[in-house]
Amino acid sequence: MTAVLHIDDLHKWYGSQHVLNGFHLRVEPGEVVGLLGPNGCGKSTVLNIVGKLVSYDHGQVRLMGKPLMELGYRARGMVGVCSQHCALYPDLLPAENLHFFARVYGLSDKQRTQRVAELMHSFELNNYAHTRVGKLSGGWQQRLHLAVALIHRPPLLVLDEPTAAVDLQARMDLWRLIEGLRDSGTTILLTSHHLAEAQRLCSRVAMMRSGQVVAEGSVPQLLARIPGQAVAMVQSTDSAALTQRALSLGWTVRQHADQIRLLLPHDLSLREIVDALDGTQVSAVRVQPVTLEDAYLELVGHTPLTASSQTEHTITPP
Amino acid sequence: MHSSHLLWIQTSAVAQRLLLEQWRQQRGLIFWAVFPSTMMLLFGLVYAHNDSMRAGLDAAAAGILVGAALFFSCLGGTVAVIASERERGTLPRLLTTPLLPAAYFLGVVMAQLLLALMQVVMLYSIALLIGVQYHGSLLLGGVVLLLCVFSYVGMGFFLGARFARRSEEVVVALSAIGVPLLVLGGTFFPLEIMPVGMQAVAQINPMLHMNQAFKGVAAYGMGWHELRFELTFLLVFCGLSLALGMQSYRHLLGVDKHK
Repeated sequence: MTAVLHIDDLHKWYGSQHVLNGFHLRVEPGEVVGLLGPNGCGKSTVLNIVGKLVSYDHGQVRLMGKPLMELGYRARGMVGVCSQHCALYPDLLPAENLHFFARVYGLSDKQRTQRVAELMHSFELNNYAHTRVGKLSGGWQQRLHLAVALIHRPPLLVLDEPTAAVDLQARMDLWRLIEGLRDSGTTILLTSHHLAEAQRLCSRVAMMRSGQVVAEGSVPQLLARIPGQAVAMVQSTDSAALTQRALSLGWTVRQHADQIRLLLPHDLSLREIVDALDGTQVSAVRVQPVTLEDAYLELVGHTPLTASSQTEHTITPP
Repeated sequence: MHSSHLLWIQTSAVAQRLLLEQWRQQRGLIFWAVFPSTMMLLFGLVYAHNDSMRAGLDAAAAGILVGAALFFSCLGGTVAVIASERERGTLPRLLTTPLLPAAYFLGVVMAQLLLALMQVVMLYSIALLIGVQYHGSLLLGGVVLLLCVFSYVGMGFFLGARFARRSEEVVVALSAIGVPLLVLGGTFFPLEIMPVGMQAVAQINPMLHMNQAFKGVAAYGMGWHELRFELTFLLVFCGLSLALGMQSYRHLLGVDKHK
């Protein structure tokens, strides 16, 4: 089957900075692929290349099997882009924004009327039909922004941190909308700093570092690469003793900033953990199953939110 | 879809959007309608009150239309459109769509042309009520105004794309550059009452030639032949400013693309 997006050996330089260094990615029809990585790893550059905002220096990008370079302007009609910053016209009504973009994409009057009505209904925008976009809350603006990206029924929807600038309630609403799109077979390429978002929405995740994909797979596949079934977050006034004890028990220890994370080879109760760490000045323990965040820390080695400002020390068992 | 059909759909979409926004932005309406109407009324009252100045009323009306009204709406309006697209992030958004650069450019031109037409009707309605008379050919007057509008829009694209990043900057820049140009362009005072040095400097101000051309037709009933120098100047200036505007817009697209 032809991939919706196929990127192979992609390189991009900004001056002397090698932003993409042999990046590869394949997005199959109906997949939701998450692109994760620390700030500056090249995620946005990939999206900008796919959205034809930026050119690339070497490699191949194919949209629906056709080289991006050859598609020229037509490539823009094959991709719908929704970024975290709502780029809409605040003095227009929601439907007027949709109509404007529909005309920009060249939809006929009949197609346009039908599509706008469809999106107003499915994104529940009819309640705000008479409200100027500038007066809508951030969440509703982002909802409309997403609808605008879908106005021309693109084969590929690109979401660049779509929920980064909205509150929790709006984020949950947007997740439900994106899940609905996923379930209806929309192909999506998504970047996010919320690992819970990626875990919930994505059928496959590609983790990036320094312009390359360093790990790729479904969420269960990536979780399987963590040397543990559960993780215990521990606070102790004697971290050296705690580390020593955990290593002697055969547990993997990860120290991230001032937090110690113990990767447990199998599920243990809180009581069992506290007993095992007895005498190491433990003041608090929290246990949870491993998540995509643990996989991210394990495979990428940086936290996505503050990659540049935090340090990480990894201690592996002998 | 045929590219000329797409160009038309996109051009009309841009123009319609701009007109709708203009209608809903009350701040824009002040520049577009309230300011020139007030100027026309004030100048009209002053000129009509003094018998010695009454003869200059027709020229003053023409100057207010070309200088105060079209300058602020077509040039200022175009700069403001580009600044607000940049400010709101809609320009990079448009770059992800198949919007043709020419369609955007023509859409802005079309919207400004329609606004200019409405301004002409509005201001000359007021002017006729206060006793102004139009003396020359309507066709020639229309051609002069068309050249003025195209020149202003071209300059607006150039200034907006190269310099204006925020809407507030537009107001400051228009006041700082625009008002001296209006004065030097003979909008408010005839060229003859200026010192010789100022008159020489004024010759390189395109607004002077716009004013002289339209005043020539509207106030003094001059024809094509008498205005051949102004018309040639305006034609060349219009071509240059449109080319410069289009080139600056393309440059802006390249710059914003790589942000």
